[in-house]
Amino acid sequence: MKMHKLRRLMSVPLTQIILFAALMTALQLLSMAGLIPNSFTYAIGSTLIYAIVAIGFCLLLGYSGLASLGTAGFIGVGAYAAYYVMESFGMPYIAALAVTLAISVAIGVAVGFISLRVEGLYLAILTLGLSEILRNLLMAVQATIKIDISNARLFGVQLNDSGAYMLVLVTFSLLVWLTSNLIDSPTGRAMLAMKNSTSAAQAMGVSLMKHRLLAFVISTVFAAIGGLLYMMYVRVMTTSVSTLLTMTTSLNILGAVIIGGAKSLWGTTLGAFIVYGIQSMFLSKIPFFQKNPAFITMLTGLLIVVVVMFFPGGLTQFLSGIKAKLQRSFRKVREDIYGKDLG
Amino acid sequence: MARIWDKLRPSGSGKLLRLSQEYDRLRRELEDLEAEAEARPAEPQRNKTGADRLQRYDARAYMAKRAANHAAAKAIFRAVREGGSFDEALRTQEKKLARIEDKRRAFAARLERGGAERKPAPAKQKPSAERVKRTAAEKAALEKKLAALETRIARAKGSGHSRISLPDDVALRVRGLKMYFGGLKAVDDLSFDVKKGEIFGLIGPNGAGKTTVFNCITRFYNATGGDMHFSGRGGEAVDLRDFRVHDVILHGIVRTFQNVEVIREVTVLENLLIAGHRGYGSSLVAQALHLPVLKKEERLMRERALRVLEFMGLTEYKDWYAFGLPYGVLKRIEIARTLMCDPRLIILDEPAAGLNDTETAELAQLIRRINKEYDCTILLVEHDMGLVMDICDTVCAISFGKLLAIGTTEQVQADRNVQTAYLGASEEA
Ligand SMILES: Nc1ncnc2c1ncn2[C@@H]1O[C@H](COP(=O)(O)OP(=O)(O)O)[C@@H](O)[C@H]1O
Ligand SMILES: [Mg+2]
Repeated sequence: MKMHKLRRLMSVPLTQIILFAALMTALQLLSMAGLIPNSFTYAIGSTLIYAIVAIGFCLLLGYSGLASLGTAGFIGVGAYAAYYVMESFGMPYIAALAVTLAISVAIGVAVGFISLRVEGLYLAILTLGLSEILRNLLMAVQATIKIDISNARLFGVQLNDSGAYMLVLVTFSLLVWLTSNLIDSPTGRAMLAMKNSTSAAQAMGVSLMKHRLLAFVISTVFAAIGGLLYMMYVRVMTTSVSTLLTMTTSLNILGAVIIGGAKSLWGTTLGAFIVYGIQSMFLSKIPFFQKNPAFITMLTGLLIVVVVMFFPGGLTQFLSGIKAKLQRSFRKVREDIYGKDLG
Repeated sequence: MARIWDKLRPSGSGKLLRLSQEYDRLRRELEDLEAEAEARPAEPQRNKTGADRLQRYDARAYMAKRAANHAAAKAIFRAVREGGSFDEALRTQEKKLARIEDKRRAFAARLERGGAERKPAPAKQKPSAERVKRTAAEKAALEKKLAALETRIARAKGSGHSRISLPDDVALRVRGLKMYFGGLKAVDDLSFDVKKGEIFGLIGPNGAGKTTVFNCITRFYNATGGDMHFSGRGGEAVDLRDFRVHDVILHGIVRTFQNVEVIREVTVLENLLIAGHRGYGSSLVAQALHLPVLKKEERLMRERALRVLEFMGLTEYKDWYAFGLPYGVLKRIEIARTLMCDPRLIILDEPAAGLNDTETAELAQLIRRINKEYDCTILLVEHDMGLVMDICDTVCAISFGKLLAIGTTEQVQADRNVQTAYLGASEEA
């Protein structure tokens, strides 16, 4: 049946990613045509950057059961690598990406080793400390970094706003695809095993060291790529004033993952849109919130409280609950009309 | 990627090397001290560098042997899946080993001829009395450290140097196993043999140390002392101490836990796929890109899992999340998991605990079937004496970590010690 085939096609992550990317591209085209405000798509782009960071974190928290509050510091590493490689040495984006990857892999390995000795809340505190050290180090080196638009180049082409948006979108899609593949593979299952029971995982041949290291490497790499893209997209970052490199960011990312439902990539993306997107896309346009920006933060906080209290599985659980309810009522209607056998 | 991981993890041989180096360093220090105290010219030092280098060759040869063992274990696993490549892996390692041994031989010959010796160090001044006294104390401390290191090295070397061979019919040999937690001797000088293909029961009152024995065998605990040898996949005996906890499965040693450890966040089928973890050979890249190799492996593993589920009568639960399933089913899932990786020794920790009489009877049936159809040895701890006496070929009774009796069920039941310490005690209670 056609309907059946379509449904199966839609359940493949690749289809979902392509559809999502197409939708986001369409929005960008609309904004270039002047049909929707530029600031709207700009907000989408920066939210996607947060979503990348959140997805790395999702793999760490939701799949490997490891807690970290160091996300902000790792973002900073990517941002500064981008700044120094591209602005100071005038090298291309690819070089910045390579440097970012190298540094963040090294940091991820280091934190992964630490996670073999320190667990749970202690690990979270430790990564928080590490992140603060990184931030203060970066701040001491240079408080404000700024990339000139003429230096934001990809394959020799200067990236304007919509070019940077597409770079973010393509990176996001690629990373979501890789992550969803990894989750649906022996490695992803081994991580879940490790999260649920370290002893059972080990008895089944899962090396804790390998998978903890891997989880931390992936999450730091994603965070650093987030920082790198931030520099390509926003092109300015201040350590001393902005909140991007402080604990708030780490907590917001944690919030996005929990709101979304720690084990779902789309849920996490949705979480990022709720924590970052709603405020930058809608709320900041409303005069009341413009006058009282503190209310935006309060609203986000309230949302987290509500989700955690009523839907511990995150919005994913909420949405699948609605879906099940709808299906049930559809079936009932169908049965009422056609009778049980035909339904 | 896999190669990077291999380098990253601290291997047993690396530990051995570190220990040997520290040992060398300490011994050199001690020799210096002795030389100083007796104020004699540093004569023995002349040969030392030569002997030193010989020792280093020994260490390297040993490491190569270890690598060969490890490669063999992995290759066998691969060979089981795809066929071939096992001999090749073994041969490369053996070639390397031969090269190192050649070098050592050449060097030893050169040393004998006196070619490799260094010039003697200049004689030292006669030390003061106070200095002699101080060095004596230092020497005592050093000697103590050396003795400790020597035992650790001996242990780290394990079967590498003097490879033990097990009798053909023995699957697992435990000798003088000790596990101390501080002052508590949870297992104390325990020895037993598990024969190939038998069902071996380990019994004893609560807290006797049964689970601890299992944890030592499966490397969850690092035993305080004693030896554990297993007849490995390649056919030769392996020292279990050479393996890390997640590697014993490579030789087919799998286990269940006393307090059921099923991964509750995934489906029953996925639980079995996790248990097949070491059966995958796809690299991380292949996994991240879902390359055809991975898809093929996934398909094969899924088929195998379905077969195991069928065997265990769990097919109806395959897509259920383990969370919330009845206890009896969870216990069966745990046993099903052990069947995913060509098991050779299945270790069951109280499989009947929490089951009712019919379930226990079914379990007995099941364990026998596994024993036959999967052709593997079974080692189990059980409190249900009916079950133990029913299915076990050999029973080993322990109490307070010490062996009480070992033999057939009749022999153990008739044993005086067992009756007073175990059966009698529980009947009176
Ligand atoms: N990790 C540990 N740390 C300290 N003591 C332990 C540990 N594991 C077991 N023990 C002690 O060892 C003894 C034997 O325990 P166990 O092997 O679990 O007994 P059982 O025969 O009931 O399985 C007990 O006294 C227990 O308290
Ligand atoms: Mg026990």
